[in-house]
Amino acid sequence: MAMKPIRGGSLSEAEVATVPRVGWEAVAERSESPLVEGLRRLRRSTTALVGVAIVALLLVVAIFADVLAPRSPIASDQTRTFARPSWDHPLGTDQLGRDMLSRVIHGTRISLLVGVSSVLLALFVGVPFGMIAGYYGGRVDTLIMRVMDLILAFPIYLLAIILMVIFTPTAGLIGTMKVTGAIAIVRIPIYARLVRGSVLSIKEKEYVEASRALGVRDPSILFRHVLPNCLAPIIVTTTLGIATSIIVEATLSFLGLGTQPPTPSWGWDLKANVAFIQANAWLALFPGLAIFVTVLGFNLFGDGLRDALDPRLK
Amino acid sequence: MRVYVLKRLLQIVPTVVMITLVVFVMMQSIPGDPVVALLGDAYTEEDAVRVRAEYGLDKPVLVQYAIWLGKLARGDWGVSIMTGRPVFQDVLVRLPVTLELIVLSMAVALAIAIPAAIIGALRQNTWADYTATTVAMVGVSIPEFFIGVLLLLAFSIGMSGALPSSGWVYLPGTCPTIVCAAGLLGNAQHVLMPALALGVGRAALLTRLLRASMLEVIRTEYVTTARAKGLSERPVVLKHALKNALIPTVTVMGLQVGFLIGGAIVVETLFAMPGLGTFGIDAIIARDYQQVQGFALLTAIAFVVINLIVDLTYTVLDPRIRYA
Repeated sequence: MAMKPIRGGSLSEAEVATVPRVGWEAVAERSESPLVEGLRRLRRSTTALVGVAIVALLLVVAIFADVLAPRSPIASDQTRTFARPSWDHPLGTDQLGRDMLSRVIHGTRISLLVGVSSVLLALFVGVPFGMIAGYYGGRVDTLIMRVMDLILAFPIYLLAIILMVIFTPTAGLIGTMKVTGAIAIVRIPIYARLVRGSVLSIKEKEYVEASRALGVRDPSILFRHVLPNCLAPIIVTTTLGIATSIIVEATLSFLGLGTQPPTPSWGWDLKANVAFIQANAWLALFPGLAIFVTVLGFNLFGDGLRDALDPRLK
Repeated sequence: MRVYVLKRLLQIVPTVVMITLVVFVMMQSIPGDPVVALLGDAYTEEDAVRVRAEYGLDKPVLVQYAIWLGKLARGDWGVSIMTGRPVFQDVLVRLPVTLELIVLSMAVALAIAIPAAIIGALRQNTWADYTATTVAMVGVSIPEFFIGVLLLLAFSIGMSGALPSSGWVYLPGTCPTIVCAAGLLGNAQHVLMPALALGVGRAALLTRLLRASMLEVIRTEYVTTARAKGLSERPVVLKHALKNALIPTVTVMGLQVGFLIGGAIVVETLFAMPGLGTFGIDAIIARDYQQVQGFALLTAIAFVVINLIVDLTYTVLDPRIRYA
């Protein structure tokens, strides 16, 4: 059976950010709702469906990790260190005799949790800031955007690293929350800038002026008329942003600044096992492959969403 | 052009001052008493008072910032608690290694992306195009450190150590100490895998972007005109289409510099290169905050300078852009 090739135009949040203004207005004159039309287009995209399938599978693995994992991800067995892949341990064991399959399965939970929650946190902070800056303009705009520019003046990884030094990496849920917070902070300006750009053009539209003339209050205009028209780029940036956040989380863990052991983390496991790859190559391969598949899933999904919600970006 | 360069250089000053402010605030926010960091756990109250006075820690925060800023301007970036050496000297020694890695990885990225994007765009919807876009999609989804691990498995372990897995050989004339390994071939052997690890991901992103950009450009009227006047395909693609398609690509390259610097930190750690990245991570592990501060400052300043260079590249690529 011939494999269907993955097709697509350009990808990445950077590219989405370079587009001056995108939204659902372009299709507003059509009778069908833009959302319905977008979903219909999404269903036709093989790329997006592959992405959706990968993401759905990962969500199932993350939710049912306790059931799916054959062993505890932190229980070590000193008599079975560096066991090769077998029926007993399908992905082998690490230097502490921990089951790698269980660690990879539980690592899904951490990666998705950090990836999704950091992006949502950034979205809930960045979008209102962007809306306020774009809608009110003037000094408020200058103040908000200068703060955002200040954050953007730092390379994303450097800022995340410094924030983790301040937060002090720890294990468990608290450690995961710290990583989430650090990644969310570096992502806030992305949303603020994106939304501000959209709002600047939307606020000049006749329907916004009409609402104002009718005496509709600003918060209502912002949330009922302006925000829905900025949703397309926000959705696309969020999906692609999850992929980026998962890579940043894995990178922080790889550098020893993410969630600390014994909490299973793909980045940490990869780093810890690199020292042993000469004799046990599989140890570093599986966490790395897990990161790759997860990021690929979100990238394919995001790519498909972008094509579906705004074909002009294709 | 000269006016624009001068203007952009002047614009850097407030950005750098703001960066110093943020780094200062961040360093102040790190939990723990700096006196403990400087003296360890066993110290007397007199020692603490002396150290506070010596480092200006007993002064108001704003005064501390002003003093620190003045010292920075004079090249006094503090002394490492770990090594006892001036931090500024240490970070400057590490910078060339990181810059070499970043420049070479960008070269790798362009060397892969340009031909792949041209083939993809000129043979749209053929297997060559599908292969280029599929490989590019895979490339953007692999983190640098995993590419590095795969390269280690292939060339350091798989091919009986064809390429060294760690360490560094300096370029001739760049050796920071009296005794150190230096040589062109040795340097090439050591930098090849890290540059590939860092460059492949960027190549994938640039391929996707440049392909999309090329697709737009080759449909424009000036490209049709170039073909109509009898130019062969080579100058049409390289001189007319590629040069214009590169403009949005350069924009994204600028946005990607931050990721490239981050990637360099990770790749240096993986391959144990004596660059700025390993310097920073070692300093963080050792809690040497003077060094962490120096690392953060120089990295952020390098980011601003690289972005300026990218910005100036526009004028070379597209003379229509009149900055002045």
